[in-house]
Amino acid sequence: MDIFSDLFMGFSVAVTPMNLVYLFAGAMVGMVVGVIPGFGPSAGLAILLPVTLGMDPIGAVMMLAAIYYGAMYGGTITSILLNTPGESATVASTFDGFPLAKNGRAGPALVMQAAASFVGGTVGVILITILAPLFGQVSRSFGPPEYFLLAVMGMLTLIVMIGENWKLGVISALIGFALGTVGVDLETGQSRYTFGSAELIGGIYFIPVAIGLFGLGELFYAFYNGLHRTGTGGIVQYDKEERFWPTAQDWISTRWTMVRGSILGFVVGVIPGAGATIASLMAYSLERSISKAPEKFGKGEMQGLVAPETANNAASSGAMIPLLTLGIPGSASTAVLLAAFLLWGMRPGPLFMEQNPELAWGLIASMYLGNMVLLAINIFAIPLFVQIIKVPYRILGPVVVVICALGTFSVHSSFVETWIMFAAGFVGFFMRLYGFSPAALVLALVLGPLAEEALRQTLTISRGSFMIFVERAPSLWIIGVTVFLVVLLPLMGRFGRGSGDAEKAGG
Amino acid sequence: MNFMAHTAARRIFGTAMAAAVAVPLAFAGMAAAQDYPSADETLDWTIAFGPGGGNDIMARSIVEILNKYDLYPGDIKVENRAGGSGAVGWGYLASQAGNPYGISTTSGSFVTTPLQADTGWAPEDFTPVALLATDDLVLVVNGSSEIQNIEEFIAYAKENPINIGGTGTVNVDFIVPTLFAQAAGFEFDYVSFNDMSEQTTALLSNALDAMVGNPGEILGLIESGDLRPLVFSGQNIPDALAGVPTMGDIGYDIGVSMPRGLILAPDAPAEAQEWWIETMKKVVDTPEWKEYIASNTLTPTVIYGEDFRTFLTKTKNGFEEVLKSVGAVQ
Repeated sequence: MDIFSDLFMGFSVAVTPMNLVYLFAGAMVGMVVGVIPGFGPSAGLAILLPVTLGMDPIGAVMMLAAIYYGAMYGGTITSILLNTPGESATVASTFDGFPLAKNGRAGPALVMQAAASFVGGTVGVILITILAPLFGQVSRSFGPPEYFLLAVMGMLTLIVMIGENWKLGVISALIGFALGTVGVDLETGQSRYTFGSAELIGGIYFIPVAIGLFGLGELFYAFYNGLHRTGTGGIVQYDKEERFWPTAQDWISTRWTMVRGSILGFVVGVIPGAGATIASLMAYSLERSISKAPEKFGKGEMQGLVAPETANNAASSGAMIPLLTLGIPGSASTAVLLAAFLLWGMRPGPLFMEQNPELAWGLIASMYLGNMVLLAINIFAIPLFVQIIKVPYRILGPVVVVICALGTFSVHSSFVETWIMFAAGFVGFFMRLYGFSPAALVLALVLGPLAEEALRQTLTISRGSFMIFVERAPSLWIIGVTVFLVVLLPLMGRFGRGSGDAEKAGG
Repeated sequence: MNFMAHTAARRIFGTAMAAAVAVPLAFAGMAAAQDYPSADETLDWTIAFGPGGGNDIMARSIVEILNKYDLYPGDIKVENRAGGSGAVGWGYLASQAGNPYGISTTSGSFVTTPLQADTGWAPEDFTPVALLATDDLVLVVNGSSEIQNIEEFIAYAKENPINIGGTGTVNVDFIVPTLFAQAAGFEFDYVSFNDMSEQTTALLSNALDAMVGNPGEILGLIESGDLRPLVFSGQNIPDALAGVPTMGDIGYDIGVSMPRGLILAPDAPAEAQEWWIETMKKVVDTPEWKEYIASNTLTPTVIYGEDFRTFLTKTKNGFEEVLKSVGAVQ
C-alpha cells in the first residue's frame, strides 16, 4: 500500500502541464540523439545539462531521464534500416533487425522494436517501483570477483556470436581481445601499444569500431555488389500497404522473449558498470541458445530483434536503481544524471529517496508516462523513418558515410577515433566478404578489458588465491546461473521440443 | 546553446553599458594595461574534458561569475575539446603561444598526462594565473568494519595484509595512499579501478578493505553510515567531514594534492597575466565561488602567478618520483 501512495504522490508531482512539456521534449530529443550513430544518451545528456540548471529540478530530471531512455528507442532505428547501431546498446539489434529489413519487413521490425522497448521500459519501471530496496542490495553486492564472472558469462555468448565458420569466428574474437589490450594498464599504469599517443591512453573505444564494422562495412559491401548502380533500388525492400504492421505470428512468437528480455535486462542493468550493452548481447544469445530454431537467428528472426530491445530498455531502467538507492551511477548516462543531482544541491546516497521523495517518485512516475509517450512517437514516426530506405542507394550511401563520421566525431571530438571508425569500416568490409564475425570482434573488445581488469583486481584482493570465487555468496549465484543457462537450459529445451510443437499446433 | 546565447546577451548589454560609461571618459588617459582585455576580442576558453565532469563544472562556474559581475568586457566562447586525458584540449592551448585570449582550467590530468604520453607540452610551459583550489581525498572503510578511526586502521595495517582501492594508477588516488603509508609505516596492496562507482561497490560488497575517493562523490554514503571516513588528505576539513582528522593532524602530512587552477597560453603577455590575477582575486571573493567550493567539497588554496608555476613543478616532480619508483612511468 505504501508503494501505491508513494507512486500516487509521484504522479501528482509529475503531471503538471509544464512537466509534461519537458517530458515530451526530452523524449523527442532522446529519439533524435539515439538515431544519430555514435551520439548516445550520455553525450546528449551532458550537452543539455547546462540548459536544465535554471529549471525546476523535477521538470529537469524528468526531461533528462526522458532523453536517456528515449535514446534507447531511437538507437535501434538505424540498426534496423542501415545496419548502423545508433549507440552501443543497440549493436545486438543489428544482428536480426537488419536482415529483417532486407527481407522486406522493415515496417514490422520497427513496430516490434518500439513495442519491445515499451515492454522492457515499463517492466523495468514496475520492478523499480516495487523492488527498488531489494535490487539496491544486488547493486551493492558486486565486487571485482562478480564482475569477472559476469564477463566470463558474457564471453560464453561469444560462442553464439561466432557464427557458422568457427575458425574465422575465433580469429575475429581474438582480434577483438587484442584491440582491447591497447591503453593504460589499469594495474601498473604503464601504457600498452599507445606509441606515445595521448589519444590512445584511454584505449580503443568500441563505439567507433562498431560503427565502422557494421555501418561502413555493410555500406562498402553493398557498393561492392553494385547496389548503387541499380537505379532507384534502396538498400532494403519495403512495401507500405501490405507490410507495415507485424503479423499475429510476430506477437505470439515473441511474447515470452519479451518477458525473459525484460527480466534479464533489468537485473543486468542493476549491476553498476554492466549496463544496457551487455544486457542486450546476453538477451540475444540467451534467446538464440534456447530457441528451437537457432539457425534462423541472424537471418531475420523477430525474436532476435525483440530480445535485445526489451533488454536494453529494461537495463536502462535498472541502471536507475544504484543511482536512486546508493548514489552510484551504473552507466555513463546515469553519471550525468548524478552530476545534475549534485548541481541542484542534492546528495545522492542511500537516504536520497527518503530525503527527496517528491523528486524520486516524480521521476519514477514520469518513466511510466515517458515510455507511453515514446511508444506513441515511435508509431507515428515509423512511416517517416522508413522513407529513408526509399532513397536510392547511390544518394543514401554517401550520406551514411557522413553520418557515421559526424556521429563518431561527436562522441569525444576525436579525429583519432574518426580514423579508427574508417579503418574499422575497411576491416568490416573484408570481414563481411570472407565470413569473419564482426559481432564477435566487438563483443570481445567490450568484454576483454572488463574481464582482464576484474581478474587482476580480484587476485590482488585475494593475494593470488582463486578460492575467492567460491567464498562469496554473489559469486556462487552467478556461477549457478551460468551453469543453469549454459548446461541445463539447452538440455531442457531439447527434451521439451516435442511438447512445444504440440502447443504450437494446438494454438 | 542557451549558454552561448546567455553570454552573447551579456556581451551586448555589457558593450552598451561600457559605451555609455566610457565615451565621456575616453580621453581621460588610457594606460597600456587597459588595452587588455579588448572588448572586441573573443576569449577562447578551452575545457580539456567533456561536459559534466569536474573540470567542466569549474570552468563554467568561473565563466558564470565573470558574466554575472561583468568582470570580462568581451564575448567568452567556451568549448569542450576532450580527448587523450586532456592532451587534446591543453595541446590546443599550447599551440597558441603568445596569444593573450586563450585560457583554460587545469585539473589532475594536467600534471599526470604529460608523464604518461608524449604530449609536446609540460604543465610549467603555460602562463600561470592562479591555483584556486585543490581536490583532496578521504580514506574510508565500510560502515560495518570494526575499524573505527585512523589510529586503529594504521595499527591493523601494520599487523595484517590490507588493500586500498582507488581510481587509476597514474593518479593522485595512488600517490596519496602510497605516500601516507610510507609516512605512517605500513604496507598495502593498491587495487586500481576505472571509476568511482565500481570502486565504491567493491568496498560496499566487502571485497576491498578501504578506498580513497573524492568526498563530494560519496558524501551520501558517508552520511547514511554505509562508509566510514577515517582521514582526509587536504589541509582543511570540509564542513561535511567535520570531526575527521587531516593527515597533517596525525603527523603524516604528505603535501600532495590535485591542482585546480587557471592558465593562459605559453608566453602570454605579462599584462594579460596581471589582469587575470587581479580578476581572479575578485572571483574568489564572490558568494558564488564559495558556494562552488562548498558543493564540490574542494579545499580553497589560492596561489597566484609564478608561485603557481613553482607549485606545478613541485607537484609534477613529486608525482614523477612516486610513479617511477613503481614503474608506472619511465
